[in-house]
Amino acid sequence: MASAPRPERDLGLLAGCLPPYPPPPTTVGLLSMEQQETYLELYLDQCAAQDDLAPPRSPLFNPVVPYDMYILNASNPDTAFNSNPEVKETSGDFSSVDLSFLPDEVTQENKDQPVISSRHETEESSESQSPQSRLPSPSEQDIGLGLNSSSLSNSHSQLHPGDTDSVRPSPEKPNSDSLSLAPITPMTPMTPVSECCGIVPQLQNIVSTVNLACKLDLKKIALHAKNAEYNPKRFAAVIMRIREPRTTALIFSSGKMVCTGAKSEEQSRLAARKYARVVQKLGFPARFLDFKIQNMVGSCDVRFPIRLEGLVLTHQQFSSYEPELFPGLIYRMVKPRIVLLIFVSGKVVLTGAKERSEIYEAFENIYPILKGFKKA
Amino acid sequence: MAYQLYRNTTLGNSLQESLDELIQGSLNTYRFCDNVWTFVLNDVEFREVTELIKVDKVKIVACDGKNTGSNTTE
Repeated sequence: MASAPRPERDLGLLAGCLPPYPPPPTTVGLLSMEQQETYLELYLDQCAAQDDLAPPRSPLFNPVVPYDMYILNASNPDTAFNSNPEVKETSGDFSSVDLSFLPDEVTQENKDQPVISSRHETEESSESQSPQSRLPSPSEQDIGLGLNSSSLSNSHSQLHPGDTDSVRPSPEKPNSDSLSLAPITPMTPMTPVSECCGIVPQLQNIVSTVNLACKLDLKKIALHAKNAEYNPKRFAAVIMRIREPRTTALIFSSGKMVCTGAKSEEQSRLAARKYARVVQKLGFPARFLDFKIQNMVGSCDVRFPIRLEGLVLTHQQFSSYEPELFPGLIYRMVKPRIVLLIFVSGKVVLTGAKERSEIYEAFENIYPILKGFKKA
Repeated sequence: MAYQLYRNTTLGNSLQESLDELIQGSLNTYRFCDNVWTFVLNDVEFREVTELIKVDKVKIVACDGKNTGSNTTE
């Protein structure tokens, strides 16, 4: 399955293992070398912002082309393949740097290769270790089967326990024999498509943090970046927004940044990288350290009305329901540690997750309970 | 229910609404620094009772007013 090694980047396995779904614009299945190179470069360019990483450990790694990458390519064919002329013109003059749309140009080509290959290797080695430890567990392999049979959008959502960085589509890992089942099996027995009649909570918001690792002059950022607000009397951070992914970032003078509003883990990471690139282009030596997803919010609809009074009576150690204060029941699930807001209408909001699987697991746990309190 | 979902974004006193305006409307960029708002709008119509003026680009610089507000366009 692996194609010939590519000496320039030492990413030989990636080229032959691009996921078949979603299909690239030109071909289905294996891409030509040129197309693979283009997608590879696009993805790598996206990751051009500096990650501070341990030195490369192993030459093996797994293909890590993010699902969102293809969506972006499909919607922005122009920007995906062309470098951004506007940014180039203003690169020497920071007075109006417009980076609100997707610029895929490489900012520091020298840094790309070691940074990116070490990034991939780090991700891969963390991945290769965790599947080994998970193999003996039969329940997880069953889950793997369940996940494989489910729709790809669901399988995209599973996470490795050891992998907090990114989510990868399951078809990406066909090479490893020992991982013939999707190695993306989560630790706890759960499948998004299951007894719940296929109701899958949709992610609505992801909050993440990253450390740019350099002191920032907020006034300079607010004056030179587009779509920025800075009111130090009210809040000691620059509030910046970008259109794609539609997110808001709070950038502090310490160099730390909070990124909110993304709808998926990869989008949150991509958005954070874009903000880091904006800061970098304004002349600061920004890096991309310790990216971490801090909170994920999901919502769904069970499609039947719920007797919240009954639920609070039987689950009083977990529930709090004060209709005069708030119309929803606040259910604090212990495992996983998720807070659910349950409404009479049958709508459910789940929050407090660090991983997507926690949202799904919490919903799996609550659904049978809610069914028991169906109205009428 | 939608309002609760925005609570996470308001934790930094920020709202997505201005971005909605960006996407839907003609607001190109905005900036707020030193209590001065700067907006750049595209394809704007200034309508007065008698007149209609169409313009490709408008830059609005607005300072806080307590009887001393100033507002300039170019």
